[in-house]
Amino acid sequence: MKKKIGIIGGGISGTCLAYNLSLYDNAEVTVFEKDTVGGASTAKSAGTVCLFDDSLKNRYWDVRLYGFETYLKMEANEKGSAGFDNTGTLVVATNEQVEQTIKTGIALAKSAGYSGEYITDKDRIKEILPDISTDNILGAGYTKDDGYFDGTMISNHFAKEFVANGGILKTGVKVEEVIVENGKVKGVKTSEPETYEFDVVVDASGPWSRFTGKMAGLDVPLWHTKAEAFFLSPPGKKLSYTFPVLKYPEFYALRSGDNIFICKSHLSMDLSNPMHAGQWDPDKLPATGGTDDYFIDFLLDQLEMKVPGIVDSGLVSSWLSYRAEPKDFWPILGETPVEGYMLATGYGGNGVIEAPAASRDLAKLIMIGESTPLLEDWAYSRLLP
Amino acid sequence: MNIAVLIKQVPVSNKVSVDPETHALIRASVEGMINPSDRNAIEAALALRDQQGGKVVVFTMGPPQAESSLREAMAIGCDEACLITDRAFGRADTLATARVLAKAVEYYGDIDLIVCGALSSDGATGQVGPMVAEVMDIPHVSEMRAIVSASEERRQIEVLKDLEYQTYTLQVNLPVLLTFQFGCNEPRLATLRSTRAAKKKPLLTVTNEEIKMPSTLIGAEGSPSRVIDSWEPQDGRKAEMLSGSESELTQQLKELLAKGEEV
Repeated sequence: MKKKIGIIGGGISGTCLAYNLSLYDNAEVTVFEKDTVGGASTAKSAGTVCLFDDSLKNRYWDVRLYGFETYLKMEANEKGSAGFDNTGTLVVATNEQVEQTIKTGIALAKSAGYSGEYITDKDRIKEILPDISTDNILGAGYTKDDGYFDGTMISNHFAKEFVANGGILKTGVKVEEVIVENGKVKGVKTSEPETYEFDVVVDASGPWSRFTGKMAGLDVPLWHTKAEAFFLSPPGKKLSYTFPVLKYPEFYALRSGDNIFICKSHLSMDLSNPMHAGQWDPDKLPATGGTDDYFIDFLLDQLEMKVPGIVDSGLVSSWLSYRAEPKDFWPILGETPVEGYMLATGYGGNGVIEAPAASRDLAKLIMIGESTPLLEDWAYSRLLP
Repeated sequence: MNIAVLIKQVPVSNKVSVDPETHALIRASVEGMINPSDRNAIEAALALRDQQGGKVVVFTMGPPQAESSLREAMAIGCDEACLITDRAFGRADTLATARVLAKAVEYYGDIDLIVCGALSSDGATGQVGPMVAEVMDIPHVSEMRAIVSASEERRQIEVLKDLEYQTYTLQVNLPVLLTFQFGCNEPRLATLRSTRAAKKKPLLTVTNEEIKMPSTLIGAEGSPSRVIDSWEPQDGRKAEMLSGSESELTQQLKELLAKGEEV
């Protein structure tokens, strides 16, 4: 008998899981997306899967590598499908602790066969990024193999693949009720008249998960952190060099056409600071704008100090996105106290990196009931009092 | 030369709700931005100021949150701002709006030239600019392309205006009101530094306390035009992605054309 699985949310989490489930013969997958595939927080993701970056700790190196290679293969199979821009990555060491993390990352990258070097020659760092200030830095990790992907394109590619494998994609359809009887999930009611019966319902709604969880009677302990981003038009309007993915502990930047995308980093977020974190309604997020004044001050100070060559860039546009973060900043995957109701949420700023490995394991758990060390680390139960 | 720029805060999204009773756009519900052709007017004003000195004062009439557009205009380079806001000015048509704008510019004082965008992206009447000039009894040139030169001494300005097949060079006496076409120049951008500096630039709030307009000339009561009906447009357009080899695509296009579909 086929196992019927309903997934709430068509971002990177939902589409990647649907694709992984669709690889099993006996899975019957339906994804409900109330708007467009990969259009909300996935679209606002920078899509960096940087080999030496610490936003996903080196402890989970295999998760990062699996994500990176999944997308490289996607791109190799169909050019443009993952939106890969191979700009290289420069990760700057501002103190010894960061330096150590970068050096570890380089060793790991090299062990997987990728290029990587830790550079202390400041002229060489300036060759890679002429606008940088090399004052007050110890060095920088660099790989030319790296770059960034496009979360929306990846989600749409996964959607295309799972539909080709027989999955059903319902866009413009909102799940309005999760049917739970005697502690067991039965299905969902949506903005369509039809009621859907499922054996398993997965919440992949990211920043909406608190609201989604309530429908199943669950408290999903997520906070929103603000991902505030600017698109800058560099002085002179066009850079004469390839702007790499640039990572500092406080912010990161990458090129976006002739512009530079710049965002406050996931690591610099403090859940107890009301300017950084809270519980908001993602439906009220505007498409553009919405950034706080403090972000302007923050970015100006950071750029003056670290990348003075682009501080006088023009502000093209800005946006605000909500990352969904549990207290410990790791995702929430797998079983909940409601039988058959599962979570694939709380990826925070790392959904694009983490979804391939996490979805691979979660699909196996759903289809054959076998857990993995990763799922145990990122289980819902860890967050229960 | 002191220049007034009249701008309008318009909705970012086109998903604007319409009040079923008054048929007015519900502007408070959506995020606002500076009307696109007003950015061209700002650029023209700033370029003239940079060349000749003086100041650029940006004006808008709207709810208090329209301050964000004024701050943005100051981040782009305008020197001062004037927020014209009062519930009494609400639900005004183009004429009642023009009366208030004209009065506020006079109240602010010491202005040689008034510029604004030719059309708003939401209402798109193109009436407010010329109406302000009429109310103030000064000349106007609408839907312009550029300012060629200006002389404060001779109180004259030379401008370019495109007509269908010709471009006119016009000489007008100051004070004058000019409306600029969208895309007639390349508006400069704000920077992080100028955005921070704009927070400290002077902003004057003007209510009806200051300009003392009778209710018969402003707001709903002072508006001779009435919207008698409004409806959301029916979006019947649909797009379909065709895929396949070149010859398959050709075949598909041929079939669509034969069916009389738009391609």
